[in-house]
Amino acid sequence: MDAPSTAGAAPPIIVIRNVSRRYVRGVDDVHALENVSLSIPTGHFVAFMGPSGSGKSTLLNLVSGIDRPNQGDVMVAGAALNDLTEDDLAHWRARHVGLIFQFFNLIPVLTARDNVALPLLLTHLSKAERRERAETALRVVGLDERMDHYPRTLSGGEQQRVAIARAIVTDPDLIVADEPTGDLDARNAEAILGLLRQLKHDFGKTVIMVTHDPRALRFVDDAYHLDKGILLEGEDAERAAAAILMAAGGGAAAAGARLGR
Amino acid sequence: MKYLGFILANLGRNKLRSALTGGAIMLAVVLVCLLLTMPAGLNAILDHAASNTRISVHNKAGIVYAMPYAFTRKVRQVDGVAAAVSSTWFGGAFEEAGRVTFPNFAVEVEHIGAVYPDYPIAAEQLADFQRYRDGAIVGRQTMRKYGWRIGQRVTLRSTVWPVTLDFRIVGEIANDRAPHFWFNREYLDQALKAMGRPGLTIAGMIWVRAADPNRVNAIMREIDDMSRNSEAETACETEKSFLSNFFGSLQGFVTIILIVTALVALCIVFIAANTASMGVRERAGEIAVLKAIGFGRRVIFGTLLAEAAALSVVAGGTGVLVTIGLTKLLQTFATWNDTLGPLGSFIVTVPVLVDGIFLSVFVGMLAGVVPSYGAARKPVVESLHEVF
Amino acid sequence: MPLPLSYSLRNLRARPARSVMTAGVIALVVIACSLFLGLISSLKRTVVSCGDPRNLVVMRKGSDNDGSSQLSLEAFQALRFFDGIARDAEDQPLASPELVVQPFFRTRGGGRENVLVRGVEPVALLVHDSVRISAGRMFTPSAHEAVVGRGVRGRYAGAELGNELEFGRGRWKVVGIFDAGGSSFESEVWVDVRELANDAKRVFPYSGLRLRVASPAELEPLMRRIDDDPRYALDAQRETDYYAKQSESANTLYILVIGIAVLAGIGAGFGASNTMYAAVQARTAEIGTLRALGFSRTTILSAFEIEAIALSAVGFLIGAAASIGLSILIGYAMGGVAFGAATFTTNVVTLRVGVSDLLGALLLSIVIGIGGGFGPAWRAARMRPIEALRKA
Repeated sequence: MDAPSTAGAAPPIIVIRNVSRRYVRGVDDVHALENVSLSIPTGHFVAFMGPSGSGKSTLLNLVSGIDRPNQGDVMVAGAALNDLTEDDLAHWRARHVGLIFQFFNLIPVLTARDNVALPLLLTHLSKAERRERAETALRVVGLDERMDHYPRTLSGGEQQRVAIARAIVTDPDLIVADEPTGDLDARNAEAILGLLRQLKHDFGKTVIMVTHDPRALRFVDDAYHLDKGILLEGEDAERAAAAILMAAGGGAAAAGARLGR
Repeated sequence: MKYLGFILANLGRNKLRSALTGGAIMLAVVLVCLLLTMPAGLNAILDHAASNTRISVHNKAGIVYAMPYAFTRKVRQVDGVAAAVSSTWFGGAFEEAGRVTFPNFAVEVEHIGAVYPDYPIAAEQLADFQRYRDGAIVGRQTMRKYGWRIGQRVTLRSTVWPVTLDFRIVGEIANDRAPHFWFNREYLDQALKAMGRPGLTIAGMIWVRAADPNRVNAIMREIDDMSRNSEAETACETEKSFLSNFFGSLQGFVTIILIVTALVALCIVFIAANTASMGVRERAGEIAVLKAIGFGRRVIFGTLLAEAAALSVVAGGTGVLVTIGLTKLLQTFATWNDTLGPLGSFIVTVPVLVDGIFLSVFVGMLAGVVPSYGAARKPVVESLHEVF
Repeated sequence: MPLPLSYSLRNLRARPARSVMTAGVIALVVIACSLFLGLISSLKRTVVSCGDPRNLVVMRKGSDNDGSSQLSLEAFQALRFFDGIARDAEDQPLASPELVVQPFFRTRGGGRENVLVRGVEPVALLVHDSVRISAGRMFTPSAHEAVVGRGVRGRYAGAELGNELEFGRGRWKVVGIFDAGGSSFESEVWVDVRELANDAKRVFPYSGLRLRVASPAELEPLMRRIDDDPRYALDAQRETDYYAKQSESANTLYILVIGIAVLAGIGAGFGASNTMYAAVQARTAEIGTLRALGFSRTTILSAFEIEAIALSAVGFLIGAAASIGLSILIGYAMGGVAFGAATFTTNVVTLRVGVSDLLGALLLSIVIGIGGGFGPAWRAARMRPIEALRKA
């Protein structure tokens, strides 16, 4: 695994400064994030980890322009997201971000190819061009045999690969995945993680992933740990990483020993 | 447009539901179109049957108060009158029907053609009408209803005059909106005299054709002035006015039916809208993902709305076709049995069809707006929270 | 083992919004159906209720209605002394000669309607004893006065007690208002028969004759005596039969109205079906469980059908109550509903929703329920337990 290097590299693709996010859930005041600051280098494969309610999904949403902070700045690929309206954000996401989710990724009434081509409807490409791009993306993820299949005839792993193809079809700078392996078995999960790493490696994409999956630690460049809305640093972060590995069992622990931060 | 495939695919998601919703909308459209054809049909009859140069002259007190026959001659002499004919209700019942099932009148055969040049009757037939005292000219609708042919003999028993007369059909009015049965007033006159009565001394109505439509009002005034202090004061009105008055005061009845049926149609639409929103709610997850990917609110709103509109346009179009088919069917039923006669007056006109299609589009948009708007408007993050 | 009724009913309560909406649309169809049927039944009833089973209608042979018949003075004078005719306290025969004319009347809104004006002699009040003067008094013969029925009052210009009505060739002073038990007599204007004949310049003084028979046994013989009389070509029939025939022209309207109700019903049925299909889908797991537990397909089918029927029953009850209420409301708001074209003269009818009308609506709502519910119920019944549970 590569160690993160900052010397001489491109400016960080994501810079978050003093970001807080609070919202009201029923009668509770939830402090999802408190004063979080971080910067993510371009071209890294990064994981946000932490227990339920730690704020990792919120952080992901902020970084991908799906949500706004109550306080603080979010700069992604040179754009200050706070300055954009809801509709602008939608436009921005369409051009700069590829999204992958745990559930409901694909539209069941569209074929794999049509699902992948979906984001291209937001561009001005012709029908032929859209088709071509979708097919290329599907080839990258290794699903050229299944282009005309409907999601219900694809396995869980294959569906996620289609989702990944859709995420890259617009050639975005940033790929964001929320629990992409959550619904998959061990073999498929590993395959997906490998594919994501490949995107970073072969195509220079920045990939950010929220996950519970301890296996992720083997594939990512960096891992950020959150707990109760706070970004853990230094010793706290290491302790959190160790806890994850221990909970997962011996093999993972060995792999995690290689993690340096 | 490029989203068409996506929209259609979504409609195919639950074909049964789309079919049922479409079916309900279709029926609502059929209902409303049928209702609209009632007044529209009447208007169409008025527009077609009523010429703008024809005037009806009748006794001011009422149609049952007749005018003296001699008055017809005076009317004919009024300036601007191209032709005038007296027409008297015979009230004849065709034996097989048992009661009066088509309007039949005793008319002046020499003048009838001139007053109704817009009714297509062959010249030789009009000549025969004048030649044969027992001749009759009958409207095509009535001929078809009873399967009569030119040359056939027909007997009518009058329910108003104490006579039964035997006629020979010599001509046909080649138009489906004039079911009249016309015969020679001399024939009735003779028959009455043969019974020892004074003969046909009255005219039930006088129909006038004006040479120039602009002179119609002036002619009507003059005729009324002429009769003012006589035994039979007249009231003239245009043919259109006469026919529309004749259709009677169905006002209250029609209003109730229109309102209630409109309400029912509205509620069927409401149910359709609810079904649409059920569908949208089920797709909340997908919609959230689409919004996250970058489909803006307007696009999502637009596609959802387009889905609703597409379904209702198809449903509406089908509804319009069904309405046409139904009215044709009704017209056939109308000829089977005289009770059903009025059913044949559901005449679908182009404006009604256009109304039907507009209605369905409107319905579609309306049914789709609320759920679509709600789904589209929510900020992405909320949708995601709800789903995940 | 059958599922208890409460299963079906409780399910309806679990999704109140959905159930209410479906029941609501059925209720609307029921309202439409009941009101429409009620309108026509009311029209028929109004006409038919004119007929008194003790009376006979005498007209010229070949006439099918009052207005087109003629009766001579001579014929009247001969007939009134026939055997079998009832007599009053002063031994005068209850034979009412009448003249029917349909002049134009101007409505208060400026429109024009044909109204039935009946020329009568005072004995008419005895022969038509349902007619009662409720305000003012009966007209005095030869005074150019008139009494008007309840439905006429207020509808036409001058149709108020003390005012003058303009029709025919003159003006007539309204001196009385009469009730007639809701029959279409209430849409008539009664005047002195001689003055009417004069005004309408009639050659024959009367259209026809109404007779009260002395006793039911005398009815048939009297009818035959009149029919067979060689001097005058006359025809006698029971007053009830006469009015029944007059009301037949409303039959077309029944067909029209039932057609509309059926169409509306089908539309509602589609809506109900849709809702029930969604319910079945939402309860897939539950159904799978029931089937796995051993409840038969028929049981499931019945359970869902019962739900559908219960919905229509609720819809019917709401609709029935609403239509009765609405008919009363319409009565207040619009007074009577006027029918003009079905019968040549204007008939002002009080809308009443009767039992037979409600039965018709009930039938329709049951058909909607069973029909609309069948598809979903069938689908629920045919679900295979394993698949159903897997989907959950």
